[in-house]
Amino acid sequence: MTDAVAEAPAESAAPERLPLTRREFLNYLWAMSMAVFMAGGGGLTVWFLYPRFREGEFGGVFTVPLGELPPADAPPKEFPEGRFWISNIGAGVEQDPRQPEDYPLQQGLRAIYKVCTHLGCLYKWIEANDRFECPCHGSKFLQTGTRIDGPARRNLDVFPIEVIDAGGNVLARTEPSLNSQEGTAVPLPDGAIAIRVDTGRRVTGASNSAPGGGF
Amino acid sequence: MRWHIALGTVAVVVIVVVLAYVAITETARMESFTNAYDSRRIEVGAALYENNCRTCHGPQGEGIPGVAPSINAPDLFNGERLMAVGFSGTLYDYIEGVVAYGRPVPSAGTSYPQRMPTWGQEFGGPLRQDQVDAIVSFILNWEDQALAAAGEGTVTLGEGEAVGVDVGVSLPEGDPRAGASLSQSAQAGCSACHELAAVGPAWAAEASQPGIGERAGQRVAQSDYSGEAETAGQYLLESIVNPYAYVVEGFDASLMPRDYGERLTAQEAADLIAYMLSLR
Amino acid sequence: MSIFNLHLPILDEIKEHGLKTTVRDRSVDVVTRLTSGLSPSDIRSILRDDPPGRPNPRLKPHSEGFWLHMKPTYYHQLMDGVYPTFRLGWLSTFFFVFEIITGVLLMVYYTPSPAFAYENMLTILGNVPFGRLLRDMHRLGAELMVAVVMLHALRTFLTGSYKKPRQFTWATGMILLLVTWLLSFSGYLLPWDQLSLWAVTIGVSMVEAIPPEIVGQTVNLLARGAPEFGANGLLRWYLLHVVAMPLVGIIFFGVHYYKVIHHGHSLPPEDEEVGEDTAKRVPTDTRVYFFPTIATRELFYTVALTAMMVVGSLFIHAPLEPHADPLITPLHSTAPWYFLWLQGMLKLGDKVIWGLIVPGVLISGLLVLPYIEVGPSRRYGDRRIGLTAGAVTTLLFAILSYMGSPWYAVQTSAEQEAVAELVPETHPGPLRLSDWNELQVGTYDASAYEAAPTEALHDLLEEFDHELARIPRDERTDHEGIMVIENWQTGLKKITLRVLWTTVADGNPGEYSQTLYLHEDSNYGQGE
Repeated sequence: MTDAVAEAPAESAAPERLPLTRREFLNYLWAMSMAVFMAGGGGLTVWFLYPRFREGEFGGVFTVPLGELPPADAPPKEFPEGRFWISNIGAGVEQDPRQPEDYPLQQGLRAIYKVCTHLGCLYKWIEANDRFECPCHGSKFLQTGTRIDGPARRNLDVFPIEVIDAGGNVLARTEPSLNSQEGTAVPLPDGAIAIRVDTGRRVTGASNSAPGGGF
Repeated sequence: MRWHIALGTVAVVVIVVVLAYVAITETARMESFTNAYDSRRIEVGAALYENNCRTCHGPQGEGIPGVAPSINAPDLFNGERLMAVGFSGTLYDYIEGVVAYGRPVPSAGTSYPQRMPTWGQEFGGPLRQDQVDAIVSFILNWEDQALAAAGEGTVTLGEGEAVGVDVGVSLPEGDPRAGASLSQSAQAGCSACHELAAVGPAWAAEASQPGIGERAGQRVAQSDYSGEAETAGQYLLESIVNPYAYVVEGFDASLMPRDYGERLTAQEAADLIAYMLSLR
Repeated sequence: MSIFNLHLPILDEIKEHGLKTTVRDRSVDVVTRLTSGLSPSDIRSILRDDPPGRPNPRLKPHSEGFWLHMKPTYYHQLMDGVYPTFRLGWLSTFFFVFEIITGVLLMVYYTPSPAFAYENMLTILGNVPFGRLLRDMHRLGAELMVAVVMLHALRTFLTGSYKKPRQFTWATGMILLLVTWLLSFSGYLLPWDQLSLWAVTIGVSMVEAIPPEIVGQTVNLLARGAPEFGANGLLRWYLLHVVAMPLVGIIFFGVHYYKVIHHGHSLPPEDEEVGEDTAKRVPTDTRVYFFPTIATRELFYTVALTAMMVVGSLFIHAPLEPHADPLITPLHSTAPWYFLWLQGMLKLGDKVIWGLIVPGVLISGLLVLPYIEVGPSRRYGDRRIGLTAGAVTTLLFAILSYMGSPWYAVQTSAEQEAVAELVPETHPGPLRLSDWNELQVGTYDASAYEAAPTEALHDLLEEFDHELARIPRDERTDHEGIMVIENWQTGLKKITLRVLWTTVADGNPGEYSQTLYLHEDSNYGQGE
């Protein structure tokens, strides 16, 4: 290595050298074209390896009739085929003293993606503690999806919900809430007969990193 | 270098000895391993059955009239049912097919209003192939019980004189342990109905109430009690042999069979009562 | 006829010298060619440990043969003992080759598909002679290889052997450490049991944090082959395990070993002048030749280690949990032990900072360490700061690993933890290992364990009771444990563990229960 460093300046110091010969220029051009080709080939390889799915293979629209929804303030209900929990936030849950003030909630339905926001394990509803708990690293979430403890650093993700009536009209839907960037809970208006959960789109939970919740 | 040679030779001898030992025991080990994993498949199947099949086919596969047929029945295991539906493969294949594919059309001669749903993932159901296999293993494990029950008949349980329906009869000394195992036996059949899904026998203590022994004492003392029993033991006997003398509020007055007075011997009744009285 | 016109020189030779002499000469010739220059008499002299002749004929296989071309003809006698290398580099190589041999054999019975992989494991274990032994050896060798490679790096740091001119050797070594981790980790997924699926899910979820989001998600999708692990993911990790990583490993091993030989094995730090590197200048009287000393020793190590692996596999079995279930995460799932430090860091805070930036800086820091730390002395006495930093790092690594384990800060409800002590979800545990026949039908109270009818029940109930007694009583109190054992089927018992309690705040009762089915012949404790 030291030898190479020592040789290089000696060579470049040769007085008769031209700044750039035609042969040298062409060689650089050739090398550049190969570099571009390699970069393109790399990109194509990534494209080749990038998985494509059929429509609806991972995620789709699930329709849940009103009768299958959990009642307000009841424990959340799991829908394994859609990979989400439906949580019906009532007055009792809304008043939960454990709920961090940074994430105010209104009453209504949320379809919560069943994967922990920490490292991809599937959390469980622990009735005894009235919260979701992750079996891998112990992250804890309230029924509302808000993180209250553990290594996870944001609230649970949700899928957008649409409430439809008998004619198929959309009465209400999940909106991004302004203050926390999370999907809002959707209240059930009169005349609703079912909800549609679109698991193809995911609304990421707001970041929440202080111990015991909050920012 | 010399001890390298000596130890190296020892190492070669060790390798040969261990490999020879493995070679000799390997056939037996493979058999025991296969046996163990077949058994574990049954365990997995039992849990899957509890979660998916129990509500229609009953906790012990006895079937529920008007809902779903018995799958713990001798005709499934002695080949009659296969013959009836004209299936030429093995019983394993038959059950696997039915579970995985479901029953869009009822078998000839049956008229269950509900259809057997599709369970296998490959046909659009919720269970993976290994889970279907586990359920089949669990169902096939009923073979001994089902065939034995077919030979025994169902009139009496043990040898001896029946206990009758008089609650005042004097019973022999009861053995709680014998009572406990009798309560779980397929012949007595108590646990077919008196079961709570995740909890176990309904007569055991749980969070909301004490065990049946304690409850029996309270019931006899209640003002609305309409039976003839005077002690907790008599109350329990009455509930078994003459169940409609007094029906606890909220329970259906037609489900408990009336024939236990003829089926149980005095000793068996005494065992059951001794067992139940021990649960407080 | 033309065939008789064929001219065979050997016939002339036989005619001239006689058959016996010709055969002998020809055999000598064949042996000499196969050994690239060692005649039978040379070999005999090696075996007798005679002094070599002059010129030394034992150097020929090094200069003329392929296999020994890279191997040095002699070592410095200071490198002949266990110190300072502890043979860790050689051991890493041994395990690499060992894993390739056992791995290729196992591939014969393996199909990388979720429908067959687990079934294949059962076949290997239950219907292939020596199948379990091979699987156990492959697994044990993988764990040991990771440990040995890590120790090798630590040793190189401690003796200062990474210093000039061996900086590049160290850098390739660090890459080989990463390759070893990935090799071992990618093998985790292949049995397609619960351990596989969730350990790898946890590991791969870490790369999802790579900022910006589009990169993390792309890498995540490339690694899983789909949003969730399935057939594509398994096939990708299989190819990574059996093709890509071994290939990268072999290439970097070649570079690494070439560099080691090119610079010579660094001598013990106390035997060199500060700033000198005398490894290439080995005086004649301090040489230890490959033939016979080193060759014999390495052969001995090979045999002894193989014996250790064979014997070890009789006692240490590769685990096999129930079939992978993408819908249920077992309680206390963890990544492999050599990634526990990473999991420990992830418990500290943000996934991007602690899962990516800190480990990234750490590993790239280690990679370029020799180019930054350029102190000329390799003497222990002159490297107090460096050695202290190394010791602190090692200690931190151990602490972080502990923090990554489930014993640190992973808690679900205390009642569930208590039941999980008896019926854990990641290994058999005491209840499954109990004597089936001693689990008598009945209802038992944990606190009345003294009255249990059998010894197994006594032990189980006592443990149950002790676990319940450890639950803090601040929120819930009056815990009562109940075990119900019922006959469920021929040879099958249903065991329900229940915990009852009273909530302190409102006096309401609560309950948690878990059910387990146990078969007479399920024979847990065969090593899984």
